[in-house]
Amino acid sequence: MTYAIEAEGLIKRYGDKTALDGVNLAVRRGEVLAVLGPNGAGKTTAVRILATLVSPDGGSARVGGHDVVARPHQVRELIGLTGQYASVDENLTGTQNLMMIGRLLGMSRADARARAVGLLDRFGLTEAGDRAARTYSGGMRRRLDLAVSMVADPRIVFMDEPTTGLDPRARTELWDIVREQVAGGSTVLLTTQYLEEADQLADRIVVIDHGRVAADGTPDQLKSRAGHRRLEIRPERDLWTAHDILAQVIGVTPHVSCGQAAHRLSKDAAPRPPGGTATAEARAEDATERMADASSGAMPDRSYGPVEDGVLSVPIVDPAMVPEVFRRLADAGITLAEHALRRPSLDEAFLALVSAPSPDLSTPPQLSTGTGGMASAGRQAPSPSSEPPAPRPAVSSRQPQSSGRSMA
Amino acid sequence: MTSLASHRVRPRGGALTQGLTLAWRSLVPLRNEPGRLVQLLLQPIFMILLFVCLFGAMTGDQTGTAQFLLPGVLVQVALVATNTTGMNLAEDIGNGVFDRFRSLPIARSAPLIGRILADTLTMLLTVTTSLLTGLVAGFRVRTSLAETLAGLALVLLFTFALSWASAWIGLKARSVASMQGMATAVLLPLTFGSTAFIPAANVPGWLRWWMDVNPVSHLAASLRVLLTGGPLGAHLWITLAWAVAIVAVFFPLAVHSYTRRIR
Repeated sequence: MTYAIEAEGLIKRYGDKTALDGVNLAVRRGEVLAVLGPNGAGKTTAVRILATLVSPDGGSARVGGHDVVARPHQVRELIGLTGQYASVDENLTGTQNLMMIGRLLGMSRADARARAVGLLDRFGLTEAGDRAARTYSGGMRRRLDLAVSMVADPRIVFMDEPTTGLDPRARTELWDIVREQVAGGSTVLLTTQYLEEADQLADRIVVIDHGRVAADGTPDQLKSRAGHRRLEIRPERDLWTAHDILAQVIGVTPHVSCGQAAHRLSKDAAPRPPGGTATAEARAEDATERMADASSGAMPDRSYGPVEDGVLSVPIVDPAMVPEVFRRLADAGITLAEHALRRPSLDEAFLALVSAPSPDLSTPPQLSTGTGGMASAGRQAPSPSSEPPAPRPAVSSRQPQSSGRSMA
Repeated sequence: MTSLASHRVRPRGGALTQGLTLAWRSLVPLRNEPGRLVQLLLQPIFMILLFVCLFGAMTGDQTGTAQFLLPGVLVQVALVATNTTGMNLAEDIGNGVFDRFRSLPIARSAPLIGRILADTLTMLLTVTTSLLTGLVAGFRVRTSLAETLAGLALVLLFTFALSWASAWIGLKARSVASMQGMATAVLLPLTFGSTAFIPAANVPGWLRWWMDVNPVSHLAASLRVLLTGGPLGAHLWITLAWAVAIVAVFFPLAVHSYTRRIR
């Protein structure tokens, strides 16, 4: 038994709406799998099928080796379920909620109480143990919910959006608890809309969109699929000289973030760090903007006069070019305030992966279980003819599956 | 797979043990928050006092009014209280508590059994409070203790039957609010269109026909006789027949909706 959770071709329809359209999942024992996707992608439906709450209309699934449809009771003996829809009884105290589950599972009153006390302590709820769950803060409720699902010490845990709606501090607290659980050897399948959460907690990520698996891989693999690494530099002065040097060495017109655009990008995380953790929205905006630049062919901002501060960014196909860039910049007497060579953020990977119109030939070899093709944004890149005039033909260095949003 | 299952507690005991735990779960909030208990008891107290005293003042005959009205109001209070079964089910389904139960390796029927057990107990509380309030308001029991207990048992039996209908509506309802709306639409004609409040002699023919058919008329009449004496006639048997019929119809319906929900 290598896989704690296996699902093949899961299909679920609600009326006309297809919630799951042939989803495959496989989670090894002791592994943490994050099912990542936007709202309505089918994540919750998948969890509900695996947790025996709904039957699939097609396909099959086994949890702990037991078929979820044929042997639901055996599956229920193995799993813990927590999340946005499985809830605690608000009218009971924390202790009572935990004791109720212990008693239902056949513990004696004393055992159930001891278990409740232990779990309250572990989840930092001892002081709130005798208060009605209704009075708990959002973070406390989620912790209690998690504690309740741990009463039986399940080896397979489903967490459906465990941190949705929590403030950052409560989220971090919950992450720590999840990590502890994982360290104890549990297999965890968690769904999330947060890329950061998947990156933080999961060994592997399955991206679901429109009821299909859009991609599957480690966080690093997904990032690498979103396109090339980018070199970002912030010259202390002579922005446009540096711009031209970059363009010459790399052969691609650098993307410039300065003036209005820089302000717009930095609104969430000012000043924008070179290794950017800007929000997905900002990235999308960024990408759109680059497309617009590309199609209009305009050389941004140069006509507005000298710009003191700005970030130049180019995709790096060949890392050997990077020292050359720095050498040429040094020769020109340009000092850098900041520089970074970074992989695309998970946000970029996510956007690239879920925005694909249809699966096609660009499926990379790493893709193992997905039924849908991985989205390569290369298809969405502006066609070569719409490239802005560049000092050197940019097209020559273009790789087929490079991300559109990584191309200026 | 043994290593996966090793930490797992195997549930012992059957649906009834689990049902008892879940009944405890439904009742313990009354102890957690005394306000809930007060609310539960105030409803029958106010209804009894209001009806018996107001109508007593209207007719000028406090004792006579109490003797006639109390059994009727008691029945009405009890019937309205059957609402809670469906409402609580709808609430548990709505807020995800039900899904929690369904993800546990427990008998599928346990949540339903727990609900009905708990509601039967609170119903006993409601009915007893109603009778005691009636005694304060001037009502006098004219029969033996056995007959009195039989009367209360009859009310409990009938409301138990009706709570399956309530459960069915609650399982069908999309929300607590719609459950309440539906239940009220059923209960209003049942309670007020009966001889619980008004003797059938004073009403127009079509209403009189409905009152004769209405099981609540027979329940109220049975209770009136069992508490204040008089000829029981066929009321008791008609009431019992109705209770059986209601269970026969709504128990399968509720269980069907329930198994669809919990499958």
